[in-house]
Amino acid sequence: MAENTKIYLQPTPVRIWHWLNAFGIVTLTVSGAQIRFPEYISLLGSYKSAIYLHNTAGFVVAISFTLWFFYYVFIARSMANLYVPKVEDLKTGLLRQAKFYFLTYFLGWENPHHPTPRNKFNPMQKSAYLAIMFVLMPLVSLTGIFMTNVEPLRGVIVMMGGMKILMSVHFLLACCLIAFLPTHVYLTTLGHTPMEHIKTMWTGWEENGNDVPDHKENGTVPSH
Amino acid sequence: MNHSYDSKLLFAAFLGALLLVPCALAAMDSDYCLMCHGDADMVNAELLIVPTTFDTTAHAVLGCVVCHDTIGDDHPSGVSELSRATCLDCHDTLGQEYLMTDHANYAICGDCHNPHEARAMKAMAGYDMNDKCIRCHDSQTMVDVHKVWLPQADLHIAKLPCITCHTGSEGYEIVLNIVVRQDDRFFSRFELPEYQILKEISGDAGILSLIDTNGDNFIALTELRRFNRNPAYRNLRLEGTLVPSDVSHDLKTLDNRYDCTFCHISGPKSLQTSFLAIPNRDGGYQRVTVEQGAVLDALYGTPDFYMVGTTRSASMNILGLLIISAGLVMPIGHGLLRFLTRKNRQH
Ligand code: HEC
Ligand code: HEC
Ligand code: HEC
Ligand code: HEC
Ligand code: HEC
Ligand code: HEC
Ligand code: HEM
Repeated sequence: MAENTKIYLQPTPVRIWHWLNAFGIVTLTVSGAQIRFPEYISLLGSYKSAIYLHNTAGFVVAISFTLWFFYYVFIARSMANLYVPKVEDLKTGLLRQAKFYFLTYFLGWENPHHPTPRNKFNPMQKSAYLAIMFVLMPLVSLTGIFMTNVEPLRGVIVMMGGMKILMSVHFLLACCLIAFLPTHVYLTTLGHTPMEHIKTMWTGWEENGNDVPDHKENGTVPSH
Repeated sequence: MNHSYDSKLLFAAFLGALLLVPCALAAMDSDYCLMCHGDADMVNAELLIVPTTFDTTAHAVLGCVVCHDTIGDDHPSGVSELSRATCLDCHDTLGQEYLMTDHANYAICGDCHNPHEARAMKAMAGYDMNDKCIRCHDSQTMVDVHKVWLPQADLHIAKLPCITCHTGSEGYEIVLNIVVRQDDRFFSRFELPEYQILKEISGDAGILSLIDTNGDNFIALTELRRFNRNPAYRNLRLEGTLVPSDVSHDLKTLDNRYDCTFCHISGPKSLQTSFLAIPNRDGGYQRVTVEQGAVLDALYGTPDFYMVGTTRSASMNILGLLIISAGLVMPIGHGLLRFLTRKNRQH
């Protein structure tokens, strides 16, 4: 890297959302495990406290999800731009990024994608985050809301196939979110230093920021 | 069963009662009394006894006179105020147990039981047992009283017999009921139907044949699946509840019921035993054994019975584990290659 420029990559609302969310998901995972396997897991004391904690964490995650959503859609107005892959991303970008992760990274080449506030994610991140934030998170939250209001919503639950379907969907989607976690945390350590991206998510500032002007950005930057 | 002792006593009481009653009166069987008491034109509403109901209750074998033994030939014009046997004469064990409780100060046998409609617990659907309690403890108040400590109190009160928590039992079992969509709208509620409604749906073959297709009086998992998937039955579903295996009248608040894992736990003692309750013409129910572990079947076992922690399905767990393991492929596989090729990135 030629210069040690800094860019402001992660605005405050996004950081608040992110860490509330991360903490919430970890809490949900642990308490959820105890709720499903009470005879093996009793980390959180009584079953009842696991349930109350799970419900509270679910509430916090749902609220912070709303914060994230409103911030990107109405304040930053960059949701579609950041999260929805462009045609080009799908045609060439995905392949190029996959080639980097699974081949050229090991050879020591530079990441073909350089994050800027307007184009934060590489094509693989876009697709993954899109699936997580627009499919998994809303569905898990929704099924969770149904399960905490079974009596009042009984009719709708029956329409969806009954408690068992609801439970199975909630459980399997939650497993997908849990599976995302190690992959996600691991990938964030692929910066120039392992803690680089994680620091960014904490402070907002990306060190070793992109030294190429914004207009040339779009994934066409050659690696050196 | 703790009733074998009871039964002997009952038999003695029964014989004793028969001997005490003059022979002429013993000949007056229930049919005779019901000529008037089963007919709304003959007696007023408080004295009316529905014959089809009485005939199928556990007390039908006794006949009326056993319990109303002071009746004379001049009835009804003679002395009024006939005798009424007390329940304790025959139900000693259960009766004594109840009398020892605090609740005996609040309600007597007759507040909960009508002797002319008495049914065994096994001849009830499950939730209908609460009709007794709700007469004095209305549902909404009970939700409010329990939600102080009970998560999802509305759901528990709506689905569980009160005596599952307020009396002790060696074990607990699941009773499944066929419920029917109230009207043909998509999201309408399912309720416990009258016998007649199910009878119309099932036709001559009988209600049990809806599920027990091979007629062996046993519900196999495959039969449950076929029932749940059958598009012709889309207005029918199975719901479940948890009932005590044996009846106790030691009505009280049991401390271990504060601990959710009393019920929400799986393992050898867990709830894999279930029965299907089929309504009879008379308002009672008949129980049919269901294959062990049916409620653990992920999708088609019983769609509307799920108890967190208890009825989780093993196949779902395996699927979940596979998904989570897939999440470790990247860190482990990539991480290993990353470690091996670390020299390439030292520039
Ligand atoms: C001919 C019709 C008739 C028959 C048969 C009859 N009852 Fe009655 N019963 C009545 C009427 C009418 C009354 C209400 C009498 C009154 O209010 O004084 C009554 C009242 C009663 C009562 C409540 C009042 C009381 O005395 O405690 C009992 C209990 C009773 N009958 C039991 C029986 C039994 C048991 C039999 C059969 C052995 C029987 N009855 C047969 C007509 C009948
Ligand atoms: C197991 C004992 C038992 C049998 C059998 C029995 N009764 Fe009764 N009966 C009672 C008792 C106890 C009462 C008082 C109920 C109460 O006060 O709530 C009663 C009350 C009545 C009454 C008064 C109405 C009422 O509900 O208080 C009538 C009428 C009556 N019985 C008729 C009959 C007839 C007719 C039969 C047979 C078809 C019959 N009984 C069989 C125990 C019995
Ligand atoms: C004359 C004796 C007698 C009296 C009095 C009597 N019962 Fe019964 N009761 C019986 C017999 C016999 C059975 C059938 C038991 C059996 O099937 O094991 C029975 C069965 C029952 C059952 C169904 C339980 C079962 O195991 O089938 C209930 C509920 C019941 N009685 C309640 C009452 C109540 C409440 C009273 C008081 C109003 C009462 N009984 C009075 C003899 C009596
Ligand atoms: C607070 C309500 C309540 C009171 C009071 C009460 N019971 Fe019960 N009883 C129940 C319930 C609930 C059941 C289980 C459902 C059923 O069988 O109706 C039951 C069941 C029974 C049964 C059937 C047992 C079986 O094997 O299925 C008998 C017999 C019985 N009670 C007798 C009595 C007697 C005798 C008294 C009075 C000493 C009494 N009950 C008082 C609520 C009550
Ligand atoms: C005839 C009315 C009546 C019926 C029927 C009745 N109860 Fe009660 N019950 C009372 C009264 C009155 C109290 C005392 C006031 C209170 O705590 O609400 C009471 C108290 C209780 C308590 C608290 C007891 C304690 O020791 O603190 C429990 C638990 C209870 N009832 C359960 C039941 C169940 C379960 C049933 C049905 C099987 C039932 N009751 C049916 C009147 C009734
Ligand atoms: C999940 C188990 C459970 C079920 C189901 C349940 N209860 Fe309770 N109930 C309890 C426990 C535990 C307590 C003690 C609560 C406390 O100490 O505050 C209690 C308390 C009560 C009390 C006393 C409340 C007070 O004021 O202290 C009553 C009355 C009562 N229950 C009635 C019922 C009735 C009626 C039903 C059925 C509609 C029912 N319960 C269903 C577990 C249960
Ligand atoms: C404790 C574990 C976690 C750590 C250490 C972590 C770390 C990071 C880091 C460093 C980034 C910035 C890099 C990037 O833009 O890709 C990031 C972004 C992101 N993370 Fe996480 N994360 C964690 C948990 C989660 C969880 C549980 C979720 C969702 C379920 C999640 C969803 C996201 C999303 C959607 C982004 C993009 C955010 C944006 O800029 O809009 N993260 N995470």
